[in-house]
Amino acid sequence: MQKGEMYVGWSTKEDVRKRGGSGGLVTSMLAAALEKKLVDAVVVLKKINEFEAVPIITSDVNEVLNSAGSLHSVPSHFAKLIANRNLKVALPAKGCDVRGIIEQGKRNAINLDNTFIVGLNCGGSMHPVVTREMLEVMYKIKPEDVHGEEIEKGKLIFETKDGKEHAITIDELEEKGFGRRESCRYCTIKVPNNSDIACGNWGVTGDLVGKATFVEINSEKGAKLLQNAVDAGYVQVQKPDEKGVAMRAKIKGVMEDLGKKWKGKVFVPIENGRLEYFRKELEHCIDCGACKTVCPTCSCGEVSKCTEYHSRGDAYKMSMYHLVRFLHLADACIGCGQCSDVCPVDIPLTRLYRRFANPVQEQLKYEPGMDMRKPPYFEVKLNE
Amino acid sequence: MSSEVAAASAPAAAKTDGWEPKIVAFCCNWCSYGGADSAGMGRFQQPASTRIIRVMCSGRIDPLHVFNAFLEGADAVLVTGCHIGDCHYVNGNDKTKIKYKYLENVVHELGIEKERLQLNWISASEGEKFANFIRDVTAQIKKLGPSPLKPEGVA
Ligand SMILES: Cc1cc2nc3c(=O)[nH]c(=O)nc-3n(C[C@H](O)[C@H](O)[C@H](O)COP(=O)(O)OP(=O)(O)OC[C@H]3O[C@@H](n4cnc5c(N)ncnc54)[C@H](O)[C@@H]3O)c2cc1C
Ligand code: SF4
Ligand code: SF4
Ligand code: SF4
Ligand code: FES
Repeated sequence: MQKGEMYVGWSTKEDVRKRGGSGGLVTSMLAAALEKKLVDAVVVLKKINEFEAVPIITSDVNEVLNSAGSLHSVPSHFAKLIANRNLKVALPAKGCDVRGIIEQGKRNAINLDNTFIVGLNCGGSMHPVVTREMLEVMYKIKPEDVHGEEIEKGKLIFETKDGKEHAITIDELEEKGFGRRESCRYCTIKVPNNSDIACGNWGVTGDLVGKATFVEINSEKGAKLLQNAVDAGYVQVQKPDEKGVAMRAKIKGVMEDLGKKWKGKVFVPIENGRLEYFRKELEHCIDCGACKTVCPTCSCGEVSKCTEYHSRGDAYKMSMYHLVRFLHLADACIGCGQCSDVCPVDIPLTRLYRRFANPVQEQLKYEPGMDMRKPPYFEVKLNE
Repeated sequence: MSSEVAAASAPAAAKTDGWEPKIVAFCCNWCSYGGADSAGMGRFQQPASTRIIRVMCSGRIDPLHVFNAFLEGADAVLVTGCHIGDCHYVNGNDKTKIKYKYLENVVHELGIEKERLQLNWISASEGEKFANFIRDVTAQIKKLGPSPLKPEGVA
């Protein structure tokens, strides 16, 4: 197996297949890496309920095997979880997780040589609080009655404990302000080719739909990971059919275009009154620092430049904290949406940060987290 | 939002008459500070609007110094240093240049007029250039009025 190859595969363990998002390949691949000592630890999500889960770092193969499933309303981020721990680790990662991990790698907080990144194709994730509200308002069902959830043909389907299915199109949900987090709507990394191996259900055809995962090997590490799982008897793979490969490429293109359209819709230029707009949005900030703590590209630790200026000095019209962060995130923000997710006073922070990051990253032709290129500041040549 | 914008700009209009802007100029020890010095020695006419802050090299100017100047009430902030190639610490001003690019973008996106933040390379012998620069900026800022980031009660 080598970089560039594509396969369709599934877990050889029936219960993992049953619980898995689509075939349980990812779970079994992670478990095999642990079993065969390719890594010392694996990150998986431990489910609390249908809408919430916490990421755990484990060295217990059974814990990994018991984790499976794609949780669309869990927008957790794994980069900071494994940062500064010096782990030999394998972990699943949505596009934004991968970008965060790579940025932490550039900042020497994660050793990428020891990190096996299993990328998950990602059409988007939802905020758990918004999901609950959406269930009551749009679906008219009690969150407690939900038994399972899946996305099929543009519809978000919830299954209730009585066995009934409730489907609404994602377009309709988003028109009403529900559905995916805003950052996911304009996210353009749908197939994480920046990971070691990209996995997803796009491109799975025929009888295998829902029962297998399509993988694309992006690096030597990715090849090693999959080969190891096959050798250990944890997963089975076959070559994908041409139709599947074409379909996957097509959906990827469509989704990326959709992301770009959303970007235009969210970031309508503000000609006049920008300062007042930012001041108004930040008005209720309580300086808790959560937006900085979760930010997966920041590796400053507790004492950092922005937090030195937390409390608003004198009669300042804006907090230095946010000004410093607007600047520092201009080249670093990966648009993961974490800051908006955690803000206790619901400031749409990602939208604010991206106002600065979009023009800077476009101008400098720099996309953080997509490859190992260093931030442009570090590329300064002598007397250029 | 519109009523607040109006409220914020009302005193601005009233103050423009005979009002002197406050301009903070960061100058590096080896070139632009020398330029400011030569401007004085050569008796080039320039308004008294400027507060010079001397740093060893333009590369030392942290964007947060600039934000701080604005938040404290500066109507304009000038970043100055040696000409490219002449920095006394080899490439400090190359770093200034790229830092400035970020800073300029952020300040622009924030909605601060571009005249309020300017970059200029001035050598120690360019006294006249320094004086002209200050004169031009002062005239531009007089037209714009006080900075929207100026705290209440600060002149
Ligand atoms: C939020 C989300 C959106 C997705 N959207 C698409 C899509 O649009 N198109 C597509 O082709 N594929 C998408 N996928 C991938 C797909 O659903 C399957 O996860 C993939 O095919 C692997 O299936 P599996 O059965 O092998 O994985 P499993 O064996 O079920 O393993 C899934 C692994 O992912 C982890 N995981 C679950 N939820 C999350 C989460 N929210 N964040 C991080 N890790 C998580 C679990 O801990 C587990 O380790 C998405 C996945 C997620 C999590
Ligand atoms: S930001 Fe992108 S990669 Fe991350 S959860 Fe949203 S759609 Fe997926
Ligand atoms: S600023 Fe917000 S959206 Fe950008 S990387 Fe940090 S947490 Fe993610
Ligand atoms: S999370 Fe919200 S309240 Fe807390 S510091 Fe950030 S913007 Fe302010
Ligand atoms: S010493 Fe003047 S810019 Fe570096």
